[in-house]
Amino acid sequence: MERIIVRFVAALRESGIRVSPSESLDAVQALALAGMEGRRLSRQLLRLTLVKNVNDIALFNEVFNRFFSRFQSVDPDLDIPDLMDAAIIGMEGEFNYLDQLPGDDHDENGPLLKLDSDINPEDLAELKSLHEIDPDDSDGNEIVVQMKGYRGKSKAPRPTRRYTQNPLTIELNKSNPVDRGITFSPEEQAEMQDVVSRMMLRLRKDMRRMKNNQNRGKLHVIKTIQKNYRHDMVPFQVALRRKRREKPRLVVLCDVSFSVSHASRFMLLLLHTLHNQMLDVRSFIFNREVAEITEMLANMPVNDLMETIDQGDIVDLDANSSFGQVFLSFKKRYLENLRGRPAFIILGDARNNYDEANDWVLDEIREKARYMLWLTPEERDTWSRGDCLMETYGSYCDKVEVVKTVEELSLVVEELLRDIYADQAHPLDKKRLREAKAAETYDSKDYYTRGASGGGQPSLDPGGRSHW
Amino acid sequence: MITEQKVKDFLQTGGYIADDAIATAVFLALRMEKPILIEGPPGVGKTGLAKALSSALDFPMVRLQCYEGIDEGKALYDWEYGKQLLYTQLLRTQLDNYLSVSSDLREAVERLSAEESLFFSKNFLVQRPILRSFLSEKRSLLLIDEIDRSDDEFEALLLECLSDFQVSIPELGVIEAKRKPLTILTSNGTRMISDALRRRCLFLYIGYPELEREVAIVRVKFPDLCEVLARQMVEFLRKVRELNLRKPPSVSETLDWAQVLSILKTTELTPEVVANTVGVIAKHQTDLQKVTELAVKELG
Repeated sequence: MERIIVRFVAALRESGIRVSPSESLDAVQALALAGMEGRRLSRQLLRLTLVKNVNDIALFNEVFNRFFSRFQSVDPDLDIPDLMDAAIIGMEGEFNYLDQLPGDDHDENGPLLKLDSDINPEDLAELKSLHEIDPDDSDGNEIVVQMKGYRGKSKAPRPTRRYTQNPLTIELNKSNPVDRGITFSPEEQAEMQDVVSRMMLRLRKDMRRMKNNQNRGKLHVIKTIQKNYRHDMVPFQVALRRKRREKPRLVVLCDVSFSVSHASRFMLLLLHTLHNQMLDVRSFIFNREVAEITEMLANMPVNDLMETIDQGDIVDLDANSSFGQVFLSFKKRYLENLRGRPAFIILGDARNNYDEANDWVLDEIREKARYMLWLTPEERDTWSRGDCLMETYGSYCDKVEVVKTVEELSLVVEELLRDIYADQAHPLDKKRLREAKAAETYDSKDYYTRGASGGGQPSLDPGGRSHW
Repeated sequence: MITEQKVKDFLQTGGYIADDAIATAVFLALRMEKPILIEGPPGVGKTGLAKALSSALDFPMVRLQCYEGIDEGKALYDWEYGKQLLYTQLLRTQLDNYLSVSSDLREAVERLSAEESLFFSKNFLVQRPILRSFLSEKRSLLLIDEIDRSDDEFEALLLECLSDFQVSIPELGVIEAKRKPLTILTSNGTRMISDALRRRCLFLYIGYPELEREVAIVRVKFPDLCEVLARQMVEFLRKVRELNLRKPPSVSETLDWAQVLSILKTTELTPEVVANTVGVIAKHQTDLQKVTELAVKELG
């Protein structure tokens, strides 16, 4: 029986469920205690002892069915040890199937495996059209294949140094090129939940360390007496009044035009997840006009909101986006009644469609803001091309970051929150945070350069981000 | 010998209708002496299971409600400083006599420190829920409710208690449980519980019950409600749960509603009845509207 369990646990691990040795021991013990009458019971026993996460239950059921389906035909009259032995023998040869099953199958149905006779005229037409995109680039097809394997986690290799309007480069920016709707799948939402909760955990840990110093205020007489009751009222331990801690304020301006929709939808999801966690966020979306969506983010299911935005009910999506217009109307309508000194995040590609730049407005916003961060999904070498005003706008911001994936987005936002917190921290903590950050810089640099360094682009600054 | 079916039966005597997964989990927890971590949406009977078990098994229940900032002083043990202080004050004369025999200061200190354990003994120890359940003469049921509300430090504190059923007190040493309590942890999943804690527990997810079980639950709690109505009600609520409400009605709402309907002596579910009692099952303004609309569509 132990062998079966060990193999089953291996199969579970194979498909991504983490099972510790002590848990497999539990499973063995549980089976020994409760017996193995019936598939239902065994499944429950194994699930209770091996799976410790709600999200893994479906996966567990799948693995269980796949793993134990091969035992059903065994003669039911055999007693259990025999049955187990038979099963093990039966399985010995086939066990390798596990190596192939999860995740590998998508390689098999690629065109590489097709026999010549299987290729139909449509396929040929498709192949031809691929050549037409870039007739003088001999390795065009290879690149297409690479793009298909790209899943959005790490940066994919860049095909050429020069910027072209060719569709391959645009594909790079999309994490999920196939039939992408505007709404989020449960997996995406779960992933975002996960990313945000990890981010919050890290933040909260660091912030708690600062708490003691942050509390410094006047003496809290009653608490001090209560605390020192045990010391016969000799005030060994002093309790101080807590200072009111300011919530960090964020103002987010998010471009929802089609050119950046893949990035903005994740930004909106992130905002939705962040909302009411610890922050005071005011969110705006814009295309040519600007509208506040703070209330909607807090009160509507995120998919409903995405659909509403996508239908153009909040801001007109058919118009050309104009950053200059947006900044002007933002200043008129909202800038005056922003409380405190919020940090600004602007997400957009700064493609102004050759409209008035109005960059002086950014200067005014800058005065109101504690910090200004611009997130763009485009690489730096395209920032001054065509109608892109990134260079102009960027000069008003504290920082411009290139973000393409959920992880990058959350890292950037986390760093921003950290900066805001550090801003309010006690001088002692400030020093410590600065030191910790200096120690970390190397690592985080490494994170950003991982994908970009291979291309050898001298014009791109090493971090893939730039500071003004 | 306890079997799964027995667990199911005696849970039913405690007024709790368990499905197979729940019964198996309880059975294993009893036999393997391992804690159960129960997750699930609010109101599906996580705490209710603990209560039913406590009354069915006749284990006294020790309940620890978690909240942000809970620490060992609230959960495990604390020293009774006031009492210690009072005793030293009252015993001052005896102490004087006791120490007056000694010739010099050094000897006095030695004599005093020999008696130190007097002041750090179980006399002055306040037992908080976990220690209390460990030291109870009878096997008890320890319910650690809503563990996700506590901080992760507290979770780490629980690790020793839950895996070895012991509490380390620096002044006294390790105190082991007399009878290992049946431990139940509940979580609403507002925060991810650490893997270390999960590993020490059996994991049970209680979701919304199947139709038959929910009807059975209603019938057990409110026997005077007629079966047809109970079934109609549960079927309606199952549709409501699919509506994507802000707060979908749970089993506890089902029971509340059943109570309301039996007080009102309702015999059949109609859109009017739903409209009049909708506040029992929907708890948000926007939800109210959706539910009444559904009632008109389904029952009208």
